[in-house]
Amino acid sequence: MNVKHMMLAVFILMTVVLGACSSESSGESDSADGSKTISFIHWRGEDKEVFDKLIEKFEKENEGIKVDMTIYPSEQYQSTAQTLIRDGEVGDVFTSFPGSQFEIMDKAGLMTDLSGEEFVSNFNESLLEAGQKDGKQWAVPYQLVFNQPVYNKGIFEELGIEIPESWEEFLAMNETLKENGYSPMAFPGADIGPGQLMNSMMMNNATDEDIFTQLENGETKLTDEWWVKTLSQFKELADKGYFQDDSLGTKHDGAIALMAQEKAAMLGSGSYAMASIKEQNPDMELGLLAPITVPADEAVYEGIHTTTFMLAVNKNSDTKDEAKKFIEFLSQPENASTYANETGQHLTVNDVNYESEVLKNTADWMDKDTRFQPRYLINSADIEKAVIASIQSVIGGTSPEDAAAEAQKVVDQFVE
Amino acid sequence: MKAGKSIYLFVVPGLILYLIFFIYPTISALFYSFTNWDGLSTEYDFVGVSNYVEIFTADAIFRKSLVNNIEFMLFVVIFQTLFSLVFALFLTKNSKRSVFLRALYFFPTILSSVSVAFIWSYMYDPNLGLINTVMQAINLDSLALNWIGNEDIAIYSISAVQVWFHTGQMLIIFVAGLQGIPKDLYEVAKMEGANKWQTFKKVTWPLVAPAATIVVAYTTIQSFKAFDLIFAMTRGGPNYSTEILATLIYNTAFRSYRFGYASAESVIFMIVIAIITIVQMRVLRSKAT
Amino acid sequence: MDRLGKRVLLIIYAAIIIIPMLTVFFSTFKTTSQMYENPIGLPESFNFSNYVQIFNETAMATYFKNSVIVTLVSVTFTLFFASLIAYAITRMNKWMGGLLFGLFTLGMMVPAQVNMIPLYSLIYRLDLTNTLSGLMIVNISVTLPVAVFILTGFMKTIPKELFEACTIDGANNWQVYRRIALPLSLPSLSATAIFLFVMHWNDLLYPLLFITKDEYKTLPLALLEFQGQYMTNFPMLFTGVMIASAPMIIAYVFLQRYFIAGMTAGSVKG
Repeated sequence: MNVKHMMLAVFILMTVVLGACSSESSGESDSADGSKTISFIHWRGEDKEVFDKLIEKFEKENEGIKVDMTIYPSEQYQSTAQTLIRDGEVGDVFTSFPGSQFEIMDKAGLMTDLSGEEFVSNFNESLLEAGQKDGKQWAVPYQLVFNQPVYNKGIFEELGIEIPESWEEFLAMNETLKENGYSPMAFPGADIGPGQLMNSMMMNNATDEDIFTQLENGETKLTDEWWVKTLSQFKELADKGYFQDDSLGTKHDGAIALMAQEKAAMLGSGSYAMASIKEQNPDMELGLLAPITVPADEAVYEGIHTTTFMLAVNKNSDTKDEAKKFIEFLSQPENASTYANETGQHLTVNDVNYESEVLKNTADWMDKDTRFQPRYLINSADIEKAVIASIQSVIGGTSPEDAAAEAQKVVDQFVE
Repeated sequence: MKAGKSIYLFVVPGLILYLIFFIYPTISALFYSFTNWDGLSTEYDFVGVSNYVEIFTADAIFRKSLVNNIEFMLFVVIFQTLFSLVFALFLTKNSKRSVFLRALYFFPTILSSVSVAFIWSYMYDPNLGLINTVMQAINLDSLALNWIGNEDIAIYSISAVQVWFHTGQMLIIFVAGLQGIPKDLYEVAKMEGANKWQTFKKVTWPLVAPAATIVVAYTTIQSFKAFDLIFAMTRGGPNYSTEILATLIYNTAFRSYRFGYASAESVIFMIVIAIITIVQMRVLRSKAT
Repeated sequence: MDRLGKRVLLIIYAAIIIIPMLTVFFSTFKTTSQMYENPIGLPESFNFSNYVQIFNETAMATYFKNSVIVTLVSVTFTLFFASLIAYAITRMNKWMGGLLFGLFTLGMMVPAQVNMIPLYSLIYRLDLTNTLSGLMIVNISVTLPVAVFILTGFMKTIPKELFEACTIDGANNWQVYRRIALPLSLPSLSATAIFLFVMHWNDLLYPLLFITKDEYKTLPLALLEFQGQYMTNFPMLFTGVMIASAPMIIAYVFLQRYFIAGMTAGSVKG
């Protein structure tokens, strides 16, 4: 075999390979029998089973429409899925986080206006704001979560602890827990902890909901009172040993395990962790509370909520009507109830019948004075990261003033 | 004596693929480094070199990441090369034991980086993880550290995982180099009464140097690109202490959606690696001759 | 003394490898709380329910088949193309060879995060998304730099005289490549093959970008989905890790024989 033969062989092989692909690919949404396929993409791997069930039901009710679900882990969802959505390749129905991801998707024009759709009225109107922009409803939030500490009711009852209503009481409660041999709070400082706990820690220190917009405009600084105070309160909790040892090295699953083993009395993440705790320790009774960082009479907010998992229809989709039908289906109280009870999530949909005990126990939070998660109102991911880093910095031993100044330097880079 | 013209044909198949599917996308990325493209929109503006200016003048995090990255690289290059060379010298022969140990040491490499990150996140958990549980069990509480939660040591803890992950891979390169050394050379050295160190210096090293050049250069590049491991274990935290350039670029591109700026960061990233690699190759080559 | 030290060192390092792996293996037979309460101990029983659950719930066979096809084809072609290039670089004049070598080495330094968006658009325009061939082509292109880099490094150590003697005998370039360059490069070829094997088998980025349909998914992609599904369930995750790694372990044990044969074949001549 000489060189020419070899080259020939290589090119034949390449042609075969390339040829094979063109026959493989048939990304059309219409198949021979006239049925249409919509692609539904999201990041909730833990919801796979219930969605499989709901999709089966949907396909039965709507003959001729098939739903092809692809689930990405949330990290990958944020990095790759958006590029795929842009090309209309996947995600006739897709989901978005509120805040910076929604902003980006809106700016890139990826979403169809849902304002006039009938199914919008199936949702609680006051919880739809996160998907609105310029007076239009681009996406409808589906889940409602409370981003504030979870506590072990059994331990609290045993020690006769009342839910604290001021910073004084909150510190006293932690002290009681510590004296009785518990780590007061399991704090997942290595991953989601700082970004979650910061919300309830700052909600009453900076009661203006526009605080982060002002930060991004340069009207306020992290070195101002509201954030330095929040940082010093974080530091106080860490220095007094109210977080478990080495909290910055603990990830969420480690913190959940501490909670499930009843080594810790509170978990510093959010309501979505309750299902995982129950899975490891089914007998535990759980509740939600939020640290109040001011005297009782100055407290404006009782807790934090986020409306998320926002459903949207792809602007570049060929099957918009079918996609809307699917969202309509998910917003029917019966189907929403199935989803809520099997995933242990509260929803933004009206008339949902919460059956599970955890959901019933915490349903009263839906009527409380909660504030939309401030962290999601930071539009710049760089600033969000700097804010979180300053929390890790004070827990690691830096003074609140220095940590705030360090983070403000990053903010300054982005303020015009 | 030159090879004939037909030698150019040898390059063709690989080069075509490489140009289309690698160089072309890379050049488009370079192009975007002079724009303010967000990575999604259809429109963008030319901003000249302002992305580069911002990186050099205003970006404290970029500088911090670069320093972290160099620390990470030095730790990994030194220990990974040392371990793999020493073990390769021990395990050059194809005896049953060597073959078994080479396979065992290679084992972590087989796992995907996401799996490795999962394993070590669990190993390093300060309160429930294996390492600290063992340390406390044998009364070495002072060694039960906050492995990935302490800003001062987190980057080294992850470096150690990287070494654990890839030493076996480099070992194989060294073994391939060492097995290329003719046996008679060692016999000559023995007859001349050379001691172990002299034999290593005079016989082994000159012949193993090409392998060493490859290992060092590859390890350097690999440690600059150790994105998966760091991202899955600490995401650059706490307080940016494990942020390296690859994670920073990812964040800029896919969190902040400043694709143009991320491209500029990558260009600098490439230049930094290129300089380090060229210097290393020069040094190692001059040592070898 | 010398020998003892060597042995101790080898054993310690072996332990550092084995202990985490064993912990992981044992944990696949535990529940999450058992794992945290007793990380080192043996499981209460070797109950394969985690494994069964994974096989029942996912199309493992399909993912496995896809991974095997993609990996084998990618490794073979990368190795073939790269060895041709490496050979050409060593035989060209210094200037051209250096240029080519530089062009490929530079490719190793490009962070994948940067060209992935332009690369995706390209693959999308060529209608190669959701195909295994698209995956293979990209795999080959992005790993060529490493393979060229390693193989050139080794091929440069083959004495030039060997090539020249052969050329004088009237052999053309292809014959020299086949009769001299390839056989003498067997150790480095097998080392590179192992490298590529691992890289292609574990590659996640490109399947993640290009594959959305279940029937074309590879194992790492499936494993990822699985991680989302069992966020905080380490035993399940580790079971997935075990299943995804097992074929590699088996392949390595079997192929080890060939790798060693390759290595020794090369060294005899050296």
